[in-house]
Amino acid sequence: MASTAAVPKLKRGGRWSPWLFALPALLVYVGFLVYPAVSSLFFSLTNWDGLSATYDFVGLENYFKLPSDPVVVTAVKNNLIWTVVTIAVPTVVGLLLAIALNGKVHGKPILRLIFYTPAVLPLVSIASIWGWLYNPQYGAINSFLRLLGLDGLAQAWLGQDSTALWAVMVPAIWLRTGFPMLLYLAALQGIPNELYEAATVDGATRWQQFWHVTMPSLRPAHYIVLALSLIDSFKVFDMIYAMTYGGPGTSTQVMGTWMYFNVFQYYQAGYGTAIAVVITLVAIAVGIPYVRSQTREAS
Amino acid sequence: MTGSSFTRRGFLGLTSAAAVGVGLSACTGGGTAPAGSGGNTGAASNNLRVFTYEGDETIGLFKAQLKKFDQQAGTTTTVESLPGSGAAVYPDKLRTQLLGGKGPDVWRIWGGQIGAPFVKAKQALDLSPYYDKYGWADRINQQAIDGMTFEGTKAGIPMMLLGLGAWYNKSLFAKAGITATPTTYAELEAANDKLLAVGVTPVGLAGKYGWNIMRLFEYLLEHTAGPELHDKLLAGDESWDRPEVVEAFTLFKKWQDKKWIANGALGMDPADVEPGYVQGNYGYTIIGPWTESVAILSAKKNPAGFGNFELPTDQQPARHSGFVEGYMINAKSGNPDKAAELLDFLSKPETQKALQNTASSVKGAEPDPKALPLSAEWAQKYGSHPFYTIQDQAFPKKEADQYFSVQSDLLQGKLAPDAAAKKMQEVISAWAKS
Repeated sequence: MASTAAVPKLKRGGRWSPWLFALPALLVYVGFLVYPAVSSLFFSLTNWDGLSATYDFVGLENYFKLPSDPVVVTAVKNNLIWTVVTIAVPTVVGLLLAIALNGKVHGKPILRLIFYTPAVLPLVSIASIWGWLYNPQYGAINSFLRLLGLDGLAQAWLGQDSTALWAVMVPAIWLRTGFPMLLYLAALQGIPNELYEAATVDGATRWQQFWHVTMPSLRPAHYIVLALSLIDSFKVFDMIYAMTYGGPGTSTQVMGTWMYFNVFQYYQAGYGTAIAVVITLVAIAVGIPYVRSQTREAS
Repeated sequence: MTGSSFTRRGFLGLTSAAAVGVGLSACTGGGTAPAGSGGNTGAASNNLRVFTYEGDETIGLFKAQLKKFDQQAGTTTTVESLPGSGAAVYPDKLRTQLLGGKGPDVWRIWGGQIGAPFVKAKQALDLSPYYDKYGWADRINQQAIDGMTFEGTKAGIPMMLLGLGAWYNKSLFAKAGITATPTTYAELEAANDKLLAVGVTPVGLAGKYGWNIMRLFEYLLEHTAGPELHDKLLAGDESWDRPEVVEAFTLFKKWQDKKWIANGALGMDPADVEPGYVQGNYGYTIIGPWTESVAILSAKKNPAGFGNFELPTDQQPARHSGFVEGYMINAKSGNPDKAAELLDFLSKPETQKALQNTASSVKGAEPDPKALPLSAEWAQKYGSHPFYTIQDQAFPKKEADQYFSVQSDLLQGKLAPDAAAKKMQEVISAWAKS
């Protein structure tokens, strides 16, 4: 009875009912996301220093300055390296760990916990821990290398341009491997055993089973892992900031940190927000194929 | 959604229109910064808020003095502290608070180019009337006041005048056979060799953030250029592309190549390295008197085991690096008079002593030799010496970072000393043009 009464009520509410339901969320969305985003877009067209009460409109000048800024060039290059490495390595390692843990392994719960723990640690703590590990004089990494007689491999890991970015990527990989592992493990457990049994009956080798049964079945998990990793990679800031502060010099600057330096430290909020706008546009452009594929799959 | 003209496309379209509308409304601001810019601490009241960077060692003393002031003045003063970040982060948070409309009434800040943006943006109050009212100029060291005067505007009251020198570990110096502290640059180099010969890295400096290892370079520049030229270089009145600067960069590289600074120092954190001379990891470091309470006393070490000396420049007058710290009042404070009264209270000699200020700029508040023997010794020996402005305060942050970048490239062998000097001149020229 209640449901039959509800239908005409909904019709009486007409086209505005959904809007009324959506309104609270919409207000929050506009107030806290759309408005700041559009404000940022506007300030990227000014020379605001981020502190004064006034500013001048400079049009696209801040955007035209970007290509001639040598640090932007370094930052873009670093972002690309960071994105490729910190997506590829944790995804592959996470998948391999998931496959290993999906089999008959002793102490499986403890191993899962060990591999996933880095993902829940605060980033700044991780940065501090790894900063000590990398200490060129007293750090565990160089001490270990010297213990093995590999003194030549002991480096000033964070203190030279050639190794600093790679040194920051190692803890980033370490902390990001647990997440894909967990997703893949859940997905692996959802693959029906009958598929493997049928493949075995058909004479498929383990390798063929992996490529023709496991990998296709993991496709939804691949999408999620890649999309979330991509977002994570684009917003890289904290690890770089905490471990190297963009240095030595500007060698480990990424777009996120360079935006921060300009807005908050150099009193060039207009220029810094132009960098932020570019980062956002690139992230949207990269995210579109994923959203489209998801939409297509859902429909 | 059936039975309704409502569609996803329509919904998204209207949402976008709303967003554009909001955006356009933002664009009609026409040259005025977002709400809250400039800070606004509200209507006049007896509530004051102070933002500072006191560490655990001193925040208790500071709060006790604020309580005393509140009892006298009938105010309620709250304090927020962001310790340990140094000048790298604290000004950002202060700026964010001011922009958010919840700026403090009073904030602690460094002088020079770190405090300057707040004055330029008219966030800090001109304190000249209060200087007259309370007679601060008679009470406070003039050199310190100069450090808090920005293009003629006395926008801050300095409470600390900090000089940087070498703070050393006596037992390590003895182990190396160094019987007297160096009085010439050649003796300092000889001391470095002796320390290294007994397996001790002579000087503990770190390159993360740039400002710590810079202390060595600025000293070398004072040594090679001398006071007059050094000051002109900092002001951009002389070209950096000159032999004295090249020589300073050459010596800087020499300190690394001879392993007088730690291998890999560029990637190390000052917070890990600065107390190293107390822990016995380095012979000495370049630091100010705060190290006595922060590194020596907090580690429960006997100050008698340590000493300090001015880094020998072989120049006349003998100078060391120095900087000032003090307080500013928010130009939008709801109660600037009470805020000024607070600063007057804090700048009284008895308050400064109660705060155990190791390098007070207030006359009559010299460090107590019983409580802080090394700080007292430094003040007595070198406190009256002139100083050159520490170089992360001499330049705006952007130029300072470029300066650090040149030093980093030089130490990594990516720039030769003469190229580093040329590069620095480019940085200074661009700054002058801007």
